[in-house]
Amino acid sequence: MSAPATVAITGLRTFLGLRVAERLAARSPRMRVVGIDLRRPQRLERKTAFERVDLTDPASHAQLAEIFARERIEVVLHAAFRRDPTPDVELDHELETVGTLQLLHACAAAKVPRLVLASSTMLYGPRPDNPLYLAESRPLHGHPDAHCVRNRVEVEQLVGEWARAHAHARVTVLRCGWIMGPTHWDRVVRHFSRPVVPTLLGYDPLLQLIHEDDCVDAFEQAVLDERPGVFNLVASEPLPLSAMLRLGGLHSAPLPPALLYPLRDLASRAATGDPPAAFYDYLRWPWVADGERGWAAFGEPAYTTREAWISFVSSRRLRQYR
Amino acid sequence: MSDDERDAPATPALADALVGLRQRLEQSFAPPEEGGIDWMALYESARRRFAQVGGMRDIPAEIDDFGMDAAALADARTWLDWLYDRWWRVDVVGSENVPSGPCLFVANHSGLLPWDGLMLAHALDRHTPESPRARFLVADWIATLPFAAPWITRLGGVRACRENAERLLRTGRSVIAFPEGAKGAAKVFRQRYRVQRFGRGGVVRTALAARRPLVPVAVVGAEEAHPVLFKVETVARSIGIPFLPVTPTFPALGPLGLLPLPSKWSIEFGAPVDASDIGRDALRDDTLIWRVTEELRSSIQSMLDAGVRRRSSVWS
Repeated sequence: MSAPATVAITGLRTFLGLRVAERLAARSPRMRVVGIDLRRPQRLERKTAFERVDLTDPASHAQLAEIFARERIEVVLHAAFRRDPTPDVELDHELETVGTLQLLHACAAAKVPRLVLASSTMLYGPRPDNPLYLAESRPLHGHPDAHCVRNRVEVEQLVGEWARAHAHARVTVLRCGWIMGPTHWDRVVRHFSRPVVPTLLGYDPLLQLIHEDDCVDAFEQAVLDERPGVFNLVASEPLPLSAMLRLGGLHSAPLPPALLYPLRDLASRAATGDPPAAFYDYLRWPWVADGERGWAAFGEPAYTTREAWISFVSSRRLRQYR
Repeated sequence: MSDDERDAPATPALADALVGLRQRLEQSFAPPEEGGIDWMALYESARRRFAQVGGMRDIPAEIDDFGMDAAALADARTWLDWLYDRWWRVDVVGSENVPSGPCLFVANHSGLLPWDGLMLAHALDRHTPESPRARFLVADWIATLPFAAPWITRLGGVRACRENAERLLRTGRSVIAFPEGAKGAAKVFRQRYRVQRFGRGGVVRTALAARRPLVPVAVVGAEEAHPVLFKVETVARSIGIPFLPVTPTFPALGPLGLLPLPSKWSIEFGAPVDASDIGRDALRDDTLIWRVTEELRSSIQSMLDAGVRRRSSVWS
């Protein structure tokens, strides 16, 4: 089992896409990385080739298949997912769900042997009746109101069906927890970067993070070595939300759900198109994943949840001076 | 007046005044020679508690993977001890039956709030302080109750489901289960000490899968701590609890009525059922599982009957 010589990354401008591309390019001089996105990233390693493909374009599967065949792509890392959901629910669906379908068609046409999918433990869904430590075999309930989570559940289903239909292809799915660290930025990070963090009064679930470096490490390994299957990618030792806030010295505003949901409703719909329950339920009910299978395959993360959180909080303090 | 003094801003003067005021206050609230209240210490602890920005100094130290908070437990120890020794005066019978390793305790259940679980875990902690604290399982609706649920989690409660129990047993912690579940909590006063059906045999399956012994436990006294006269279900459903109990004190006395009555408790441990030599094949043997479940239930019932006969009154 040797490392692949050519790798394609969809969503080159995403956090994962860019970081994994940098790592791979730095790794060996023979490795060729083809990045695919709508726009060229501002900073790009010289060895990384860039191809412009719009996944919402109905003809994009042919375009992708042509690139994959021309470059003799051995592994595709599919990371073309929104960092934040947008109020344009239709567009998100076109990009994430239908875009994945386009990519899968292209992979089949170009006979790409391996696919790595970036997924999330948010897909298990926050539910009062969840056991702590959800195994990979648990059903993906998602969240009924969160269109981004709904799309990603559909993406996993599509990829699963595709893997069953194409026996030659090996698929790795990595479900990450909330990614935190000095540089990663998304709506979760934004939520915890507010001067006062709104929380739900009377609720204090265990939360689980993954440090951005551990996350990039695992994706790099998944691209380099063949490890088919579905894995949770989370840090150990989840912490209660209250302990995290106390640890970071963050001010929180605990509001009763009956007040918080209507209060946040307009803001939330303007920012993400979803009602606030779609996010705040993740601060209400448990959705902690069991990381043991992932640790066995990709090694134990260097950062625990507490350390990942401290890494984020200390860089958050520095950001104020930048 | 020198130049230095004239150029100095007003703030140092203010700071000096504040320091003086503080010294004055410290003198008045200085800890007394003997007895009395140390006001400064009280103020300091209150300030620490309410100051959100504790930063790294107030790192919550030991929170385990099921959310039990060692610091919260240490804080709660005073009143747990008080409930155990003074309020319910708990007697422990048959502690020689408690195995040394992790095991699954199966007890009768009563009352909406998990007092029996808290006291049983406390009794085990006193009996074997060196082993990890036993965790008690709580019903779904308690595990999702705002305000109560975080505290119950911090004190060692875990939502009752097989995955959680098996994981706890596998990682070397004892588990206290109340397989009567909601039916046990919903018993009205005239049904007291009549052990209800044990779910669907989940406890036995869990012990078999984790290869840990089962220990039957009879808790006498807890069923009188919250004597439920009758239940109101219509109102309760709308606020998310299975039923609203009407006790002699609740809801007549409001939240005060939630305080449990000071009945005299005794906790009896029965002979353990060793599940490890039954073999994993038994997991598929439903007849065997039902038989073991029924044996457990009847042994708890007979311990309860004996315990109730033995005592002279509910209160002593």
